[in-house]
Amino acid sequence: MAAHEAGMTHKSEFRAGRQLGLNHVKLGMWLFIASEVMFFGGLIATFLKYKLALPTNEAAHLDVTLVGANTFLLLTSSFTLVLALAGLRDGKRGAFLRNLLFTVLLGALFLAGQGYEFSLLYAEGVTLSSSLFGSTFFTLTGFHGLHVLIGVVWALVLIVRGTRGAYSADNDLGIEIFGLYWHFVDIVWIVLFTLIYLI
Amino acid sequence: MRERTIFLLILVALALIGVGVLAAVGLDLMPTAAADRADAVDQLFRIMIGVATVIFLLVEGALVFAVLRFRVKEDDESSGPPVHDNLSLELVWTLIPAIIVVVIGVYSFRVLSAIEVTAEDEMVVEVVARQFTWEFRYPEFDNLTSSQLHLVVGQPVRFEITSEDVIHSFYIPAFRAKRDATPGQISELVVTPTELGRYPIRCAELCGAGHANMLSEAVVESESDFEAWVENISSLPDDPTEAGRFVFEKYGCGACHTLEDMGTTSTVGPDMNGIGQRAGERIEGMTAEDYIRQSLLDPSAHLVEGFADGLMPQDLDQRMSEAELEAIVQYLLNQ
Amino acid sequence: MTSETAAAERPNWRRYFAWNTDHKVIGIQYLVTTFFFFLVGGLIAMLIRFELIQPGVDLVDGTVFNRFLTNHGSTMIFLWVIPVLAGFGNYVLPLQLGAKDMAFPRLNALSYWLLLTGGLIMLGSFFVGASESGWTAYAPLSIEGPDGQSLWAVSIFILGFSSIFGAINFLVTTVTMRAEGVTLWRLPLFVWGMIATSISVVVATPVLTTALVMVALDRMAGTMFFSAAAGASPVHYQSLFWFYSHPAVYIMVLPAMGIISEVLPVFSRKPIFGYKTIAISSMAISVLGMTVWAHHMFTSGMDPRLRLPFMITSMIIAVPTGVKIFSWLATVWDGKLHLKTPMLFSLGFISMFLIGGIGGIFLAAIPIDIHVHDTYFVVGHLHMVLFGGSVFGIFAGLYYWFPKITGRMYQEWLGKVHFWLTLVGTILTYIPMHLAGLAGMPRRIVDYADEFTDLNVLASIGGFILGIAVLPFIYNVIVSWARGPAAGNNPWRALTLEWQTSSPPPEHNFEHEPRMDHGPYDFGHDLVTGTPAAAPASGD
Repeated sequence: MAAHEAGMTHKSEFRAGRQLGLNHVKLGMWLFIASEVMFFGGLIATFLKYKLALPTNEAAHLDVTLVGANTFLLLTSSFTLVLALAGLRDGKRGAFLRNLLFTVLLGALFLAGQGYEFSLLYAEGVTLSSSLFGSTFFTLTGFHGLHVLIGVVWALVLIVRGTRGAYSADNDLGIEIFGLYWHFVDIVWIVLFTLIYLI
Repeated sequence: MRERTIFLLILVALALIGVGVLAAVGLDLMPTAAADRADAVDQLFRIMIGVATVIFLLVEGALVFAVLRFRVKEDDESSGPPVHDNLSLELVWTLIPAIIVVVIGVYSFRVLSAIEVTAEDEMVVEVVARQFTWEFRYPEFDNLTSSQLHLVVGQPVRFEITSEDVIHSFYIPAFRAKRDATPGQISELVVTPTELGRYPIRCAELCGAGHANMLSEAVVESESDFEAWVENISSLPDDPTEAGRFVFEKYGCGACHTLEDMGTTSTVGPDMNGIGQRAGERIEGMTAEDYIRQSLLDPSAHLVEGFADGLMPQDLDQRMSEAELEAIVQYLLNQ
Repeated sequence: MTSETAAAERPNWRRYFAWNTDHKVIGIQYLVTTFFFFLVGGLIAMLIRFELIQPGVDLVDGTVFNRFLTNHGSTMIFLWVIPVLAGFGNYVLPLQLGAKDMAFPRLNALSYWLLLTGGLIMLGSFFVGASESGWTAYAPLSIEGPDGQSLWAVSIFILGFSSIFGAINFLVTTVTMRAEGVTLWRLPLFVWGMIATSISVVVATPVLTTALVMVALDRMAGTMFFSAAAGASPVHYQSLFWFYSHPAVYIMVLPAMGIISEVLPVFSRKPIFGYKTIAISSMAISVLGMTVWAHHMFTSGMDPRLRLPFMITSMIIAVPTGVKIFSWLATVWDGKLHLKTPMLFSLGFISMFLIGGIGGIFLAAIPIDIHVHDTYFVVGHLHMVLFGGSVFGIFAGLYYWFPKITGRMYQEWLGKVHFWLTLVGTILTYIPMHLAGLAGMPRRIVDYADEFTDLNVLASIGGFILGIAVLPFIYNVIVSWARGPAAGNNPWRALTLEWQTSSPPPEHNFEHEPRMDHGPYDFGHDLVTGTPAAAPASGD
């Protein structure tokens, strides 16, 4: 009774999932990611529609080098997260926590870099309300940044819990779920960077 | 027994088709048809009504029959036959609706192609929607503007429709014609009116407090009557009262203002009855004439309590000529 | 556990007002909360019909009327039909699967509290200047609207999360938590309906979020997403909005169709006809429903060449819908029909939805749509399918599962009074609307031309009948829940798993591990084998 009210369901209830080889938490996360794809899809479609319909020279203000470097940081953070999960599965707690911390730091650096790019653009008169380009650009990259921020906070929570021994080779689901989210946020950025800065 | 069933089924089928045809031919659900597109649309509609009637009577009839025929008493605990499916039946009732839908689709597409085709000798009429009036502009007639639409019977028209503020929708039910008026965009609509008469024009997209009042009239007339109208509307009447009424009508003031002399009753804006007296009392030191004039040219200047800012057209100073302005001011001073 | 014991151990009423992760508690919280919002939306409807019973601006002016129609629609869609079906899903789905609860009980509770929060914010918007741009909130009108419009957008943002989290829960629970024997082709059709709906919720709802975020930013942050002056296209809002809002109507009907598929076999004592076809049709409707959205935009000045594909998809979707209606008809045909209230509402659903569905074909035909778009033809159509369809289905479900949820039986004669008043009211209110639309009466108008008076009088009288019709239902629920006769485990002699446990079920749903040895609608096998259909293993 108490277990039920605490919201925990017994493992035997997921037998259908186990028969199919599907973990329910992972499946749930994939579905959530699907909804996020649609959300970003709407914003991307809007950005592209106006980019094609109303060519503007404001894109000249974009700092491809700066943000390119930023992109590299974010991609590296995905790599360190892979290393963290591998470390956890190999029983190497030090590697696990260290790489998880690198992920957090790289994510935070990415956010700082984005903030800097935003401030440069604002200084040059490209703002949320200066034009349609400004509106679509800042909304799209802003929401992405928000997702990175949520990920950074989430990872910090994981580190705190990790230092208290919450995760192990047998209990890596929490990290794996975060991994799905973080890699997704990374992939979204690759798409955004390509459409906004490279094309 | 089987022969009797088949005979009955054929009878029912014929009866259904009979009712369907009756419905298609006999039901008069559309308003007067006053344009070429209306005739084409109405024919499609009638055929669809016929088909819909047959389908509805067939399915609903079967349902009602089943309910009456197969109900049992409350204490009856028996089961019906364990029938789960019937492939041929399911195939039939998938294919037949599919075929019906394809036929209707193709026919609809052909009607659509026929009614949206532009002609060579079209008259262009620009339609400008703004909260809450319609303005019709005739570029081929020296850009004359009016709040009432005049068209020549048999003359193809191309409407170029836009809005100055929010989305509206230009709708003439008698023509079966509708196109949204969107700011920043010009949408085209082609019609050839075929029947003389006067037909309502209504706004068909929620546009604010005065949406229900955003009305006008399409007057379909002979070429000579049309030309006479063009003559008349191009210049202000000489008589001051007539001139005032002319301007009131032209700029669609009745969409928002009640005025007994014009027979308008809208309450979107302040009541104009007695404005001649009230205008002089509203602002200390300001004459009625100045007050009325300023309220027209800069509506936000002296908002009446209880009415929202921004509903009154803000660009009358650009659209009205000095003579028109003078005429309406003098007219209102006498109301 | 027997139902008597279960009723005696009835949980404290206070738990329904607190955070609780039991799907049965959450289900009841959903059902009661959404019903309250139904009454709010219904009250507004009565005011609207009161205004419209005569031409002229009598009760309220154009601005207040616009607030009425906006909030009637918003309340009914976002706070009643969409979430009440999630409420049914919450209560019934785990039981039908033989599961102890949903896959994510805490997420489930969160979904409810997000619903309540969003709903209260939407009601709160009434006090700061309610939104007046229609539930569709087209830009630029919605950009300029009063402060309540921003609150409205925030509330829907929150409700979207409630909806999406719920859908994720339904999908994961169905895939991973089925009991022994509950295979894919033995899933009850209500579960299929919830699955089909949940897919649309996950895919389409986020795009509404996108649209409303842009509206909110245009209103509050000076962005220019829909500013014609900046070169933006207000029509773009419509594309984003309808990409969600068309699937939304299937989200609102597929679970209700699932309920019909549950009730018909039980009250016909006969298997559902075409089980697999109905299941596949539900999925097809969900997927196809995401390809039709621009049929709401035929007069928008959209690229004319794009109109044809949307007409095609809109017509195609009639086929799986028709297949369902015929399958239901074949289910009752040659059955042993017991015309109890759930059955009456189900039969009413079929009849009303038939009309609404046929009306949909007219609307899909572009030349006709050009004439009737944004007229009362659409208002008539949408209410036929949403009220004559979804709400009839909802009431069928409420009566059907009332004994399971409460352990008591409702009063049948009151149910019949409710049904007949509702059927008459539905026909009287919404058929005249179709005629008014054909005659050229636009929608969303506080005043209309004299020629439309008779039709509006009929519609208003019908509307008042609908208002009155709810009263026997409310009385029935209260009195029966308090002191109706004990219902027993399975008063309807149904075969799905929720009926193989007590009424109400114990906390963990089943005393013994449930299993399914046959299909969910295998009635009539005693006629063939001479032995009653094997009942699934259960507590008693």
